[in-house]
Amino acid sequence: MSTARSWTERARDREPEARRATTDVVPLLRFRGAALRGRSRRTALGAFGVIAVLTVLAAWLPAYLPGAAGSDGQTLVLSADILLLLPSAYLGVLVIAIVSAVASGGGRELLPREQAVAFPVSPTTDHLGALLMAPLNIAWLMQGWTVLGATAFVVGTRGLPAAQVPVLLWLFVATALAQAVAWTAEWVRRGPRGDWTLRLLVLVLIVTTAVLIATDRLVPLLDEAPTLQVALAALYGSGGAWAGWFTAIAWLVVLGVLAVVAGALMAHAVSRRPARDELRLESSVQSPRTNPASDFAALVRTDRVGIWRSVPLRRGLAVLAVLPGLVALAGALEWAMLCILPGLVASGGALLFGVNSWCLDGRGALWRDSLPVAATVAFASRVMVLVEVLLLASLLTLLLASVRAGVPTLSQLVAVLCATVVVTVQVVGASLRWSVRRPFSVDMRSARATPAPPLVMVGYSARLALSTTLTGMMFTVTARISDWHWSVLIAVPFLLFSSYRLVGTAQQWADPVVRSRVVATVAS
Amino acid sequence: MSSPVVEVSSLWVRFGPVDAVRGIDLRVHAGSATALLGRNGAGKSTTMRVLAGVIPPTGGLVTVAGHDIRTDALTVKRLTGYCPDVGGLVPRATPWEHLQLAARLRRLPDGWEERARDLLEQFDLGGAAHRVTAGFSHGMGRRMSVVLAAFHDPAVLLLDEPFDGVDPLGVEATMDVIADARARGAAVLVSTHLRELAVQACEHAIVLRGGSAVAEVSAHDMSGEEGAGVYRALLD
Repeated sequence: MSTARSWTERARDREPEARRATTDVVPLLRFRGAALRGRSRRTALGAFGVIAVLTVLAAWLPAYLPGAAGSDGQTLVLSADILLLLPSAYLGVLVIAIVSAVASGGGRELLPREQAVAFPVSPTTDHLGALLMAPLNIAWLMQGWTVLGATAFVVGTRGLPAAQVPVLLWLFVATALAQAVAWTAEWVRRGPRGDWTLRLLVLVLIVTTAVLIATDRLVPLLDEAPTLQVALAALYGSGGAWAGWFTAIAWLVVLGVLAVVAGALMAHAVSRRPARDELRLESSVQSPRTNPASDFAALVRTDRVGIWRSVPLRRGLAVLAVLPGLVALAGALEWAMLCILPGLVASGGALLFGVNSWCLDGRGALWRDSLPVAATVAFASRVMVLVEVLLLASLLTLLLASVRAGVPTLSQLVAVLCATVVVTVQVVGASLRWSVRRPFSVDMRSARATPAPPLVMVGYSARLALSTTLTGMMFTVTARISDWHWSVLIAVPFLLFSSYRLVGTAQQWADPVVRSRVVATVAS
Repeated sequence: MSSPVVEVSSLWVRFGPVDAVRGIDLRVHAGSATALLGRNGAGKSTTMRVLAGVIPPTGGLVTVAGHDIRTDALTVKRLTGYCPDVGGLVPRATPWEHLQLAARLRRLPDGWEERARDLLEQFDLGGAAHRVTAGFSHGMGRRMSVVLAAFHDPAVLLLDEPFDGVDPLGVEATMDVIADARARGAAVLVSTHLRELAVQACEHAIVLRGGSAVAEVSAHDMSGEEGAGVYRALLD
């Protein structure tokens, strides 16, 4: 007698499976949360509180600013400039979410891969987890706050809560759509000739954007973006046009649900294909090189392979080097504004691995530390490699951005160079300080891995973004002064201060007790 | 008998509120091999890490060839060869790159390559010398870690779980490495859960429990069924 299940049994099983995958997210979140104890738990709760407060402020406060719709008896017309930009801003949320999710190979993991192997985690659960983790990213948060703030400014205080509902829904839809696109991209990448197919697709997108810019058709196209409907929905909510508002809300809900389901289906498809690029690199054969000429060269060589033979780091660095440059190219940024870019790139590069630098050694950290070499030399090697990676990415970005920026004046050129060097040293200093203070055991083989837990990454990225943006802005001012000496004069104290702190971190690293804690943690 | 190459007195290691090692004493003489046995968390790997200069002792005195590990850790690292209990390999480097790094930092004279190639062949890793180690199996990783610990002929060979997940040929090669080290006068310390292999490789055994040494016996006394009973009794 056949013991196979009937089609009716299978149909019955299918529903509980989907429900089980959804409910599995809760225990995984609890498991993740249970790892936070004592001070870490209080810090995490505090961070969530700060995010919530900032979100409420971003969605509410701009409505009361001078120039906002309805302020001082003014009409909507005064905030019309911002209104015109709203659809593009909403679209920007989607674009950044897609880039972030695709670059990280399908979004962040709720549970790291090496921990998840012990549990029957379904791809649907993984997908839902990645959706939940997506907002724990400073780029996502900043974009969210920006569009909420801009919407509040545009609609004013009248009907503000109703106006923000479609915007919040759009943030959800954009995240879900990005996740679905990311799984699709990962599915393509893992297929036959996937790498090249994906590269070709990216190239086509870049060329298309370049053609649109060159023929002045990008702005008219952005004006017709479907996200215009989100802006209209916000205005309907503000103006009490409930029929239009409800219709838009219904559409957004349907779109969001469809995107989540599509993402789950693609997550299952991805799970059936092995990660070819990771496997290829892990089993690759490398040509032997000549013996290193010095201790420092030997250490630098080992540190470099940790970066350039890592799929996620190579991919992340490529995105970081190219994307801001392309955005600057599209926006035809002037030289003074280019001072902001190195900070952006350096911060992003540090967040790929730099904030937990010793994790690159993985379980080899114990062996490396047993080698007879001064701790300061090993530290200097790490500094060197981090500096060169960040500088390389920044210079590539600047090269791209400079194409439409025209010929710089000497003052502008010096300002950009000073900004690049200063933020690089700043970021390297902060990264290594955090690497020594808070090491984490992380398997960086997966493109979805982050060098620190998500909430810690939000803290790191916020601090890096703040310090490097302020520094960059300072050099945008000196770039406008005709005397180039000002940039150098301002750069010197910054460099001295960052170097002083870097030396302090090196001294901490030289302490065997501190070093053993770092090494034992990353190797565990 | 000559003075011991490895001398540990009242070693104490504390991690926050946890005392991982609580007053261990041990001596290993040149040309001899000592096994560290005990349950998980007994303090074996922590003791090995201290001897490798990776973890500083919280208390006690540890000397290797007369050098105090607190004040002269770099010299101690030059004298020792260490196979850690976990991993031991930089994920994206190849075995040859590991050997090049170690040879450079240990100032090995020209010609070290031949010795390295011989050892790689001995451990059946010759064909994987230029492969990225991230794709290595656990056993391959263990064998490579033993190669890295032994290839510079250290005065003190520290092998932490060298047999874990290793196939019989790998075990045989590790036994040969231990025998060679003893023959040239090195002091060998082997930490393992595999009592029979420890007995085979070493002449002395120290049983650790809860961070303290509870027995120091001849390896012969720990062999066979009778030795298994003795060992079992010492674990509780």
